[in-house]
Amino acid sequence: MTDPAEKNILVVDDEDDVRDFLKLALTEAGFTVRTASDGLEALEEVKRQVPDLISLDLVMPKKSGAKFHRELTKNKAWAKIPIIIVTGHACDDLGKADLRELTMSGPGIYLEKPIKPDRYVAAVKQVLGLETSAEEKDLADQVELQSELKNLIDDADPETLRKMKDILKKKK
Amino acid sequence: MPKHKTEKSKALTQLLYDQFFQQAPFNVAIIDRDYNIIEANDNFTRYFGNWHNRKCFSVYKKQERPCSVCTQKEIFEDGRTRVVDTVVADKNSRWAHHVIQSAPLRLTPGGPVDYIVEITSVVTDTNQWQQEYNVLFDRVPCYITVIDEEYRIVRANESFRERFGDVLGQYCYKVYKRREKKCPRCPAARTFKDGKIHQSEQNGIGKDSRKIDYAVTTSPLVRGEERVAHVIEISTDVTKIKKLEKEVLEAERLAAVGQTVAGLAHSIKNILMGLEGGKYMISLGLKKDDRSMIDRGSDMLDRNFDKTTTLVKDFLSFSKGRLPQLKMTDPNALVGEIVDLYKDIAAVSNIELKARLKPKISPAPLDPDAIHTCLTNLVSNALDACLMGQQKGSEVVITTRDEKGKLIFEVSDNGSGMDYEIKKKIFTTFFTTKGGEGTGLGLLTTRKLVQEHGGKIVVESQKGKGSRFRMEFPRKRLEMLYRESE
Repeated sequence: MTDPAEKNILVVDDEDDVRDFLKLALTEAGFTVRTASDGLEALEEVKRQVPDLISLDLVMPKKSGAKFHRELTKNKAWAKIPIIIVTGHACDDLGKADLRELTMSGPGIYLEKPIKPDRYVAAVKQVLGLETSAEEKDLADQVELQSELKNLIDDADPETLRKMKDILKKKK
Repeated sequence: MPKHKTEKSKALTQLLYDQFFQQAPFNVAIIDRDYNIIEANDNFTRYFGNWHNRKCFSVYKKQERPCSVCTQKEIFEDGRTRVVDTVVADKNSRWAHHVIQSAPLRLTPGGPVDYIVEITSVVTDTNQWQQEYNVLFDRVPCYITVIDEEYRIVRANESFRERFGDVLGQYCYKVYKRREKKCPRCPAARTFKDGKIHQSEQNGIGKDSRKIDYAVTTSPLVRGEERVAHVIEISTDVTKIKKLEKEVLEAERLAAVGQTVAGLAHSIKNILMGLEGGKYMISLGLKKDDRSMIDRGSDMLDRNFDKTTTLVKDFLSFSKGRLPQLKMTDPNALVGEIVDLYKDIAAVSNIELKARLKPKISPAPLDPDAIHTCLTNLVSNALDACLMGQQKGSEVVITTRDEKGKLIFEVSDNGSGMDYEIKKKIFTTFFTTKGGEGTGLGLLTTRKLVQEHGGKIVVESQKGKGSRFRMEFPRKRLEMLYRESE
């Protein structure tokens, strides 16, 4: 089995506090963590050493998450790096298009800010295929399910939503 | 002039007169005191037919007896010429409008009137034209009045009378606006003064006491005269358009608020994330008995609580759904204040802050505080962009000018510029490229304030070359808002 310490994770976020927080949560879980505060820095870090996973914010100065990701996909080795998107913009106009592009083209899932540390760690482990405790598995599943449902709901038109509600009511 | 005409020349003159009489391009007849037509030219004969041994009323009017009002009779009495406009029939009894000019003929100079010469010409075409003109004048969907130098209405069309009542002879300001004195900024007064065409937007009160917005054009009734005696005022009713414009303005304002609320959610999410992080660090620190981690967590909590405070403050100032407090303001003076405020700060970073002002720009109704805020935001952004660009010879230029009826403030810099992705996002949410430094509200607030003035903000930018933010205020809209606020 793989040890988290062997996994190298790159956390990219322009907010100092968010970066510190995510780094700490992952470090506590035993991962090796590097950080970058924008897409440019992140690219440098990737060049230096290809990470096993990238935790990526979408809206950042200099080089946005989406642009950074586009650069990654140009390189065959880099294109395979799993990505977890951690963003506050998931459901607004600013992030939606970027997010769609990312989730369509690459591996990974997205988490919407604010996020709890254990849930974040669980999601990272899940994506990396690391062994998780039953509790973590639950959390990760939850996250994945939530993320999937949210995608569906965000894309659904009001009519579909109404139908869904009716079906759920009947089940009860 | 020869004193004595020879027989030969007399005969020549007679010949010429006869030809002239026959060929003159109108109908000529001579009648005596008993209404008999004693002579007529070929044109007359062609038009009216046989006239020999007939009386004038029979030929012209197909009547048995003289007209009740007879011009000829009057001329025989007072010897003065007359011009009348009347309807007469041709040889086929087709009636048409004619102008008849009648003049007395005397056999002895200074003697009694012996005959009358009548020159008749058809004016049916002219008359129809006149009628068409009248219909046009009355029914054209504009209010038309002609006023004299005392501002009394001497003519008004039907559209005007329907809306403002029958008001001939009254003062125009009294009729249009129920004022007792001439209006300030009266375009007619300017036309009286310079003889040129002037336009202006006004509001008046109809005869039903309802408010009317109208756009009026004044021009001299007779052009090219040295002294303007009458001015014609043509007004278009823009009440409905004004109402629509106002609704559009309102909708724009609401849209700005909507976008802001969506953006607020994002800012709060980031702060919540920070609070979550602080909480996590503290609990981790407590579990591990790690004092420094507790401190770090506590700092993080502090920072994010502070951010909440800043955000709420910004948001409150943003959400002030008030109308701008408009007063007549000199745009250049406003820019002057900003330059004074930022000159030193800019100089410290080796950035030159310049103002390029249109001299003698007209004052405009603006909310000086609001525009001050807008300029402050734009200038501080421009300075930041210069710092990020880190070029030598950085400069920020503030410009004022008038362009196509719009008052324009422009802030341009040769700093870092923005690429397409950033440009399209700057107004959409609480977007900031300044990391934790900005709340992302500056441009939003600016746009909102500009929109509240009925204006818009336009951005041009090129990555690496600089940005140009232009605030455009249509002066008409400003005046409309100003009138409303009065």
